[in-house]
Amino acid sequence: MLKVENLHATVGDKEILKGINLTVKAGEVHAIMGPNGSGKSTLASVLAGNEKFTVTEGKVEFEGENLLDLNIEERSRKGLFLGFQYPVEIPGVTMANFMKLAVNEQRKSRGLEPLTAGEYLKLMKEKSAIVELDSKLTSRAVNEGFSGGEKKKNEIFQMAMLNPKLAILDETDSGLDIDALRIVATGVTRLKTPENATVVITHYQRLLDYIVPDYVHVLYKGRIIYTGDKTLALKLEKEGYDWLINDYKEE
Amino acid sequence: MEKSTKDIIQELESKDYEYGFVTDIETDIIARGLSEEVVRLISQKKGEPEWMLERRLKAYRHWLTLEHPKWAHLDIPEIDFQDVIYYAAPKQKKQLNSMDEVDPELKRTFDKLGIPLEEQMALAGVAVDAVMDSVSVKTTFRDTLAEKGIIFCSISEAIKEHPELIKKYLGSVVPYTDNFYAALNAAVFSDGSFCYIPKGVRCPMELSTYFRINAEGTGQFERTLIVADEGSYVSYLEGCTAPRRDENQLHAAVVEIVVEKDADVKYSTVQNWYPGDKDGKGGIYNFVTKRGICREGAHLSWTQVETGSAITWKYPSCVLAGDNSSGEFYSVAMTNNFQQADTGTKMIHIGKNTRSRIVSKGISAGRSQNAYRGLVRVAKGAENARNYSQCDSLLIGDKCGAHTFPVIDSYNPTAVLEHEATTSKISEEQLFYCNQRGISTEDAVGLIVNGYAREVLAKLPMEFAVEAQKLLSLSLEGSVG
Amino acid sequence: MVVKRIEELISAKTIPASGRLTSGGWTFGEGSGYDVVVESGQEAVLLIADNANLGDLNIDVARGATLRILNIIHDHSAMNIAVAVAEDAQCMMTQVVVSASDTRVVASLMERGARFELGGVFVLTDDDQASVTVDVNHIASDCQSHTSVKGVAAGKSHGSFSGLVYVAPDAQRTDSVQSSRNITMGEAHIETLPQLEIYADDVKCSHGATVGQMDSDAILYMRQRGLSLADAKRLQIEGFVDDVVLHSVIAGSEEVLAELLAEKLNRL
Repeated sequence: MLKVENLHATVGDKEILKGINLTVKAGEVHAIMGPNGSGKSTLASVLAGNEKFTVTEGKVEFEGENLLDLNIEERSRKGLFLGFQYPVEIPGVTMANFMKLAVNEQRKSRGLEPLTAGEYLKLMKEKSAIVELDSKLTSRAVNEGFSGGEKKKNEIFQMAMLNPKLAILDETDSGLDIDALRIVATGVTRLKTPENATVVITHYQRLLDYIVPDYVHVLYKGRIIYTGDKTLALKLEKEGYDWLINDYKEE
Repeated sequence: MEKSTKDIIQELESKDYEYGFVTDIETDIIARGLSEEVVRLISQKKGEPEWMLERRLKAYRHWLTLEHPKWAHLDIPEIDFQDVIYYAAPKQKKQLNSMDEVDPELKRTFDKLGIPLEEQMALAGVAVDAVMDSVSVKTTFRDTLAEKGIIFCSISEAIKEHPELIKKYLGSVVPYTDNFYAALNAAVFSDGSFCYIPKGVRCPMELSTYFRINAEGTGQFERTLIVADEGSYVSYLEGCTAPRRDENQLHAAVVEIVVEKDADVKYSTVQNWYPGDKDGKGGIYNFVTKRGICREGAHLSWTQVETGSAITWKYPSCVLAGDNSSGEFYSVAMTNNFQQADTGTKMIHIGKNTRSRIVSKGISAGRSQNAYRGLVRVAKGAENARNYSQCDSLLIGDKCGAHTFPVIDSYNPTAVLEHEATTSKISEEQLFYCNQRGISTEDAVGLIVNGYAREVLAKLPMEFAVEAQKLLSLSLEGSVG
Repeated sequence: MVVKRIEELISAKTIPASGRLTSGGWTFGEGSGYDVVVESGQEAVLLIADNANLGDLNIDVARGATLRILNIIHDHSAMNIAVAVAEDAQCMMTQVVVSASDTRVVASLMERGARFELGGVFVLTDDDQASVTVDVNHIASDCQSHTSVKGVAAGKSHGSFSGLVYVAPDAQRTDSVQSSRNITMGEAHIETLPQLEIYADDVKCSHGATVGQMDSDAILYMRQRGLSLADAKRLQIEGFVDDVVLHSVIAGSEEVLAELLAEKLNRL
C-alpha cells in the first residue's frame, strides 16, 4: 500500500528526514515511536504533502502511484488521512458543512454522485456514534471551542467519514484523559479492516494497549533505527530510548 | 504537484464579471452635463408637478455651493460632473398594464440577471421593482399588495399619485443639505422605489428593488423612500449590477427609511456593481447615502453584502430618535484587485433606552483598500443607551489594506458602549487542514471566508444568502495567499 | 511640588532641555536633531512633569536601548512627544493626566524587534478639557506595541482619546494591542477614536474601546456595608485606574502617582 524509500526532507536549510524506509501493507498496524524532535510529525506532514517541507531525495509509492506527484487534496481523495496533533480552528465553518464538502469531493474524484442531504445525515449519525461524538459538535464551527478530547474524537470521526485506505494518526493520544483515550482508540480499532492500514505516531505505549501494532519502529534523528514487534513498545516504556540510541551512535 | 498560488490567482483573475453584458435596447438619453436646464428637463420628462421641480432646483442650487468631500480613506480621481449623462431610460410604451407589454429584450435582461419579473418571483414570494438605468421598468405584485393597503411603486409614480406622502417624507431623513451627493441626488434623481406600509400591517412578502445600469456614460441616481407606519413590518431587498465598461460610472443613490412607532424594517443589500477589471480599469463609483429614523419602540436593521464597485462609500445609519428604539448594522465588505471601500454606519442615540449593534466583517484581497468607518453618538438626553460593535478584518495577501476608524462619542454618562476589532488572515494551517481532507485551496478559501462572514450572512433572507455566499467565493478572484 | 516629591523618591532625570545618555552618563545641550537620545544599549529613565512650556520633544531610542518615561500632566500643558525606537530597543511609558491638556505621543517602531508600551490614565473633573492622542507607527517587521488608556470624566469635563495603529506594507508579524476604557459621570462628554490602518497581512492587531459608568450594584453593596456614596464611588474609580499606577514604568513612583490621583478623585 505504502512504500517509502530513502526519503529525505528539509525545512528551510535544515534536513529533518534523512533517509526513511518504510513499507506498510493492507491490514497492518504500524507504530512509530521516538524521542522528541526525531522527525515523527515531519514524516506524517511530508506524507500528507505539507508544503512547509521540501522533499530532496527518495520515493514514496502509495497504491501503486507516485505519492509525491500529488497535491495535498489529491492524496486525501486517494485515501490518505492524517489525524492532526493540533487540529486547527476554522471559525464560522460548521463541522457538518465542512465534512459534507470533503466527503463529496472524495466521491467526485472517484466518479460517484454526491450524497443527498438525507444520506449524508445518516452517514454522519452512524459515524459519530463510533467515537461517541456529541451530535451537537457537528453543528459547531470546525474545532472552535472544542476541548482537547473533543478535537481528537473529531479527528477520528472525520477518519470514519472519509474511510481512508491509510490513516496516519499523529500523536492522537496526546492530551487525552484515560476515558477519551479509550474512546479514541476503540474508534480506531473499529474502523480497522483487512483492506486498510494504520500508522500510529505516539510517545507512549499506553495507546498501543488498545491499538495493537504489528510493527513498532523507532525514529531517531530522521532515520528509522530499529524495528520490532509490539513487545518493543513495552521495552521502550520501561527502559527508554537510551539503549537504542547508544547502539546507534556506535554504528 | 499542488497547484501553486500563482496558478490559482491567474485562473481566478481570468474569471469574468458574470453580469458584464450590455443589453441592446432603445434608450432615451439626454446630453451630457448638468445645469438648471438639465434639472428642469428631467423633471419635465418625468411629468412632475411644479413643487417637485422647485425642490430639485433648490437642491441643485445648494449643490453648486458644495465641494467634493475629501475625508474618506479613498483615492478618488477627480470626477467631471459635466461629463455625466443624468438621464437615460429604456424607451417603452407609456403605461404597462401587463407583463406582456414589457419589452422582451428587457425581460430577458432581468431573466439573465436571475431576476425573473413574474412567475418565479411569485413562487419565492418576493415583489420586485426593477430599475434599469434611471427608470423603474416594472413593479410586480402591486395588486396583491394593494389589498393590504401597501403602496409599492416607482418613486415617480408616487410623486404623482401620493403627493401628500412624498411631501411629508421625502427628504425628511436625508435632507438635500446633508452632503454633496445627497444634494446632487435630490436635484437629478430620476427614479427609484417607494414603499408605504400602513399602520399595523405586516407585509406578506419580501419587497425588492433591482437596480441595473445599462447605458454608457450615464450616472444612476435613484431615490428610495420606505415608510413603515406604526406597528408595521417590512423586509426589503436591494440588488444591483452593471455592464463591464472601461469607463467609471457614477452611482449616487439616496435611501430614506422612516420607521414609525413600534414598526420594524429590515433592509438587505447585495451590492454587486461592476468592480472594474483586475488592473483597476473601469467600475462603478458607488457613493450612497442611506439612513433611517426610528420613532418610539421602532427597530431598523441594515444588512449589506458589498462585493462590487470600484469605489464604495456608504454608511447606512440609524437615527434612534424615539425612546426604546433600536438599530442594527450587519456588513460584509469584500474588496479585491484595485477596489476601494470606505463603509460602515452611524448610530445616533437620541431617545432613552436605545440600543444598537454593529457587526462589520471586512475582507481585503489583491491590492484593494477596505475601511470600516463608524460613529456611535449618544446625545445628552439618551439615558441608558447601549451599543456593541464588532469590526473584524480579514486580509488575503500582503498588498492590500484593512482599516478601522470608529468614533465613539458619548454625552450621557449612563451609556454603555463597547467596540472591539480584530485583524486576521487565512492561516497556512487552515488551508493545509482543509487540503488534507480533500478540499481544494480555492474551495477552502471560499469556505473560510464564508465562515468568517457567517454571522452577517445569517441575517440575510434565505434567497439572498445563497446568492451572497456565491458572490463572496466568486469575488475572491485569485486572491489566495 | 509633585515633581519634587518624585525626584526625591526616584532617581529619574527631569529633562529641561536636550540631553544625550551615553555610557558616560547624561550630557545636555548637544544638537543631534533629537532632543533626547538614548544611545545603543543604554537604559534610561525620563521624568516629564514640569511641562507647561515644553512643547515638542523628540526622542531617539537607539539599538538595544531601553527608555522608561513617566509623563505627568498636571499643569494645563500642550505637548508633542515623538519617540523613534530602533532595533530591539524598547520604550515604556506611563502617562497620568489630571488637568486640562492636549497631549500627543507618536511612537515609531523603525527597526525590527522594537517595542513600545504605553499605560495611561486621564481623570477629568469640573470643566477640564483634555485630549490624549497615541499614534503608533509600525514601520518595520516583528515589532510589538501595547497601548492602554483609561479615562474618567466627571463634572462638565470633556475627555477625548484618539489612537492610531499604523502598520506599514512590510511590517509583517506586527503584534499590536490598543485599548481605550472610559467611565463617565455627571454631565461629562467622552469621545474615543481607536483606529487601525493596516497594510500588511501577517499581523496580530486588535483594539477595543468601551464607554461605561460605575457599577451601581457594587456601589450599593459597599454602601450597605456602611461606606458613604462618595467613598464607594472613589473606591471604584481607584480600582479602575489602579493598574496604571501599579504598572508604572518607574519603580517607586507608585505612591506619588496614587496620591496625585487621589487628590484629583476627591474632586469627583
